[in-house]
Amino acid sequence: MVSDVPSRARRMPGLAIPHRMRWPLGYTAAAVLVFLAYYYVIPNLGAGGQTFFRNWLPLTSINEALVWVICALGLNIVVGYAGLLDLGFVAFWALGGYTAGWLMSGFFHQVKIHIFGGATATVPGIHISFWLVLLIGAGFCALWGVIIGAPTLRLKSDYLALVTLGFGEIIPQVFTNGDNIGGFNLTNGSKGITPVDPIGIGSTRLGPFDLVWKYLIFVLIAAVVVFITLRLRDGRLGRAWLAIREDELAASMMGVPLMRTKLSAYAVGAVAGGLAGVAFATHVGGVLPDRFNFSISITLLAMVVLGGMGNVWGVMLGALVLAWVNSTGLPQFGSSFNEEFGTNINFPSYNFLLFGGILVLMMLFRREGILPESRTRLVLHEPSRTDMESLGADMEAPAPELDESASLKTAIAEGPVIADETGTGTGMGEKV
Amino acid sequence: MSRTAKIFATVAVAGLAVSACGGNASGGADDSSSGGGTLVIGVDLPLQGASKDASEATVNAMQLYLDQTGSKAGKYKVKLKVYDDSTAAKGAWDDATCAKNAQDHVGNTEEVAVMGTYNSGCAQIIAPVLNQDPTGPMLMVSHANTNPGLTKAWDSGEPEKYFPSGKRSYARVIATDDYQGAAGAQFAAKDLSAKKCYILNDNQTYGQGVGKAFEEEAKKQGIKVLGNQAWDVKQPNYTALFTSIKSTNPDCVYLAGIFDNNGGQLVKDKVKVLGDNSKVKLIAPDGFSGYPEFDGLAQAQGAYITFAGLTATTLREDGGPGAKLLDAYKKKYGADPATSYALYGVEALQVIMQAIEKSDGTRKSITEQVFSGSGISIPADKSIVGKKLDISPKTGDVSVRDISVLQLKDKEEKFLKPWPVS
Repeated sequence: MVSDVPSRARRMPGLAIPHRMRWPLGYTAAAVLVFLAYYYVIPNLGAGGQTFFRNWLPLTSINEALVWVICALGLNIVVGYAGLLDLGFVAFWALGGYTAGWLMSGFFHQVKIHIFGGATATVPGIHISFWLVLLIGAGFCALWGVIIGAPTLRLKSDYLALVTLGFGEIIPQVFTNGDNIGGFNLTNGSKGITPVDPIGIGSTRLGPFDLVWKYLIFVLIAAVVVFITLRLRDGRLGRAWLAIREDELAASMMGVPLMRTKLSAYAVGAVAGGLAGVAFATHVGGVLPDRFNFSISITLLAMVVLGGMGNVWGVMLGALVLAWVNSTGLPQFGSSFNEEFGTNINFPSYNFLLFGGILVLMMLFRREGILPESRTRLVLHEPSRTDMESLGADMEAPAPELDESASLKTAIAEGPVIADETGTGTGMGEKV
Repeated sequence: MSRTAKIFATVAVAGLAVSACGGNASGGADDSSSGGGTLVIGVDLPLQGASKDASEATVNAMQLYLDQTGSKAGKYKVKLKVYDDSTAAKGAWDDATCAKNAQDHVGNTEEVAVMGTYNSGCAQIIAPVLNQDPTGPMLMVSHANTNPGLTKAWDSGEPEKYFPSGKRSYARVIATDDYQGAAGAQFAAKDLSAKKCYILNDNQTYGQGVGKAFEEEAKKQGIKVLGNQAWDVKQPNYTALFTSIKSTNPDCVYLAGIFDNNGGQLVKDKVKVLGDNSKVKLIAPDGFSGYPEFDGLAQAQGAYITFAGLTATTLREDGGPGAKLLDAYKKKYGADPATSYALYGVEALQVIMQAIEKSDGTRKSITEQVFSGSGISIPADKSIVGKKLDISPKTGDVSVRDISVLQLKDKEEKFLKPWPVS
């Protein structure tokens, strides 16, 4: 950290804000800006301006995109930091969603439990405050993260991906078919659980049209996840994740406890997934099992990869952009295009063609993502050892530009594992 | 090489951005150009995936009806605005899109009522939001939601949980699953003299609802229900399932579900294991109606289908406004609507238009017309389904509960007989 500050300051002269305060301030500023825009500016615009924002950037889409951000940040910990390819992350979204469904609705009408809940006290069912459910959902998902993570500990790459894929398929199936588990209706089957209680702050409850406040709450949750992610990354656990990602064998040789580190990656990632699930249930006003299919996991993964694996801001950008394109951008672009040119092209149905095309182009020309993590960029742009040696390079000699970049990074770069990584330059590209 | 690629990518992105900007300017201008006495009715349907044809036929029929009547509801001019509640990625309705549409319906100040949705699940998300509209509640009339819980006591907390404001705002023009399932069971007992029936459901809201209703009524009619089991929609074949059913020796099989859910394979394997449909009777609800693929299936011939309403054939024979609309539809689009729900879409539109006519043009007033006094009543000579239609102001349910029994013969759904239910 200490070596970091001067180097950054050198790049941005005249900025007296300490480095550690920069992201919270920037994030808050951006969030407040959007809040003010939707609270003051847009309602006072003319009819044309209001229609424009309702069509192109409705607050519902922003809120939904924020849920995607929260979830993608969780996946970023598993995939981006620890390098454990997870194709079933939708499971945690579903688990979080059902936690909200169970604890914030009249679904379990056999009982009547109210804990600061958002419903009138006479209504049957379990009605627990949204904030408590957030905590419960996070804890529940962390537990499931460990349960799902445990069988994958001995697996690597493809096998690991397949096992996570299996869990990602199993859990939504359980929710779809769980309306008669030994005579007990656990999930209400494909009917899902609707409606979910509104979010309560003190004695006020957010109605379906208090989107601006919901937005603030989602931004807050995302901020907490970002904070956790960034702090963990700089800490002992985060460095252990990175070490595992770069070279599992070397990491374990250096004394990184593989099992504990991997499990904690699953658990922390799952926490974010659970938070997203609870937030999404209140966003939609219910939880339905139809949503939780494989394409959600893939979209999440695409967000992480496109945005920049391992970089919180890249992942956030990727999630915001892709979620917006999915929910609003493409359909709206399609209808405008069709109106303009009198055509009848169904743009949204080309959704995956577009995604696929972008993914192929990105992998060919910018594998590290839109906003890459500096370490990934370094590794990806460095030729593999055999390539260099075939050109006659002496691998034992220090590579000056690598050293400089490494010292620009964080203090972790001085750690023994990393020195080994940058020194030998094993082809990181093959792992991504 | 990599620089060329970068330039190419930049150009491509810039091109996209420019075309996006060009598009939105016109979109915004067009939407704000209406004014005066024009009221907008939102139409909320899944326009992508399996329900695409049915939804498009519904929109076309509604638009045609408006053209025929001059788009007038009393002193107001009426315009449709179509919302899509499906996503391409899912190929079906999507919960988040439904939630977004609900916000849009309320946010669009010109919009006064919503016609839709096709799927009951989507209605469960939209109805509570429209109900809490501060300028409303906003009226929603569905042409296809057959899940009983939306209007009457069914599961726990239903239907009150969909109306948080305490006032009703949701109505429908179609009979609910319980009537259709019951009609199927009565038909099986009385006309087919079935003694032992096996029920298979597709494990979805609709299938489970119809299956449950069939099971309850069948028991009352003295039919022995051998089982009510879900079929796994992802299975490549159902031989094993039917082999296990065969040992129970049923004389009728009820398929509670939707043909889309692998119904074709199911029917093929039913005939393969249990024998043809004259030996072991096959009865299905309207989830199997309106699919040319099912009608053309050799193994499906002889199957009985119940339909919660009247079909195009019956309506045309009855004459009246329904026949007139159907003729105009066939003239314009070259074929009858892909689904009988299209006409019920028009029926829902008639309900909304009568409510608008009686109201002062505000959302609150329009909803009150349906849920106060004697409610909405459309006389037989106006009603598109050819019968007097009353919407109960208490529940929002419809009085006309026609169930038609159809039989598949020569690859066509032939009308067999009406089955009145009370």
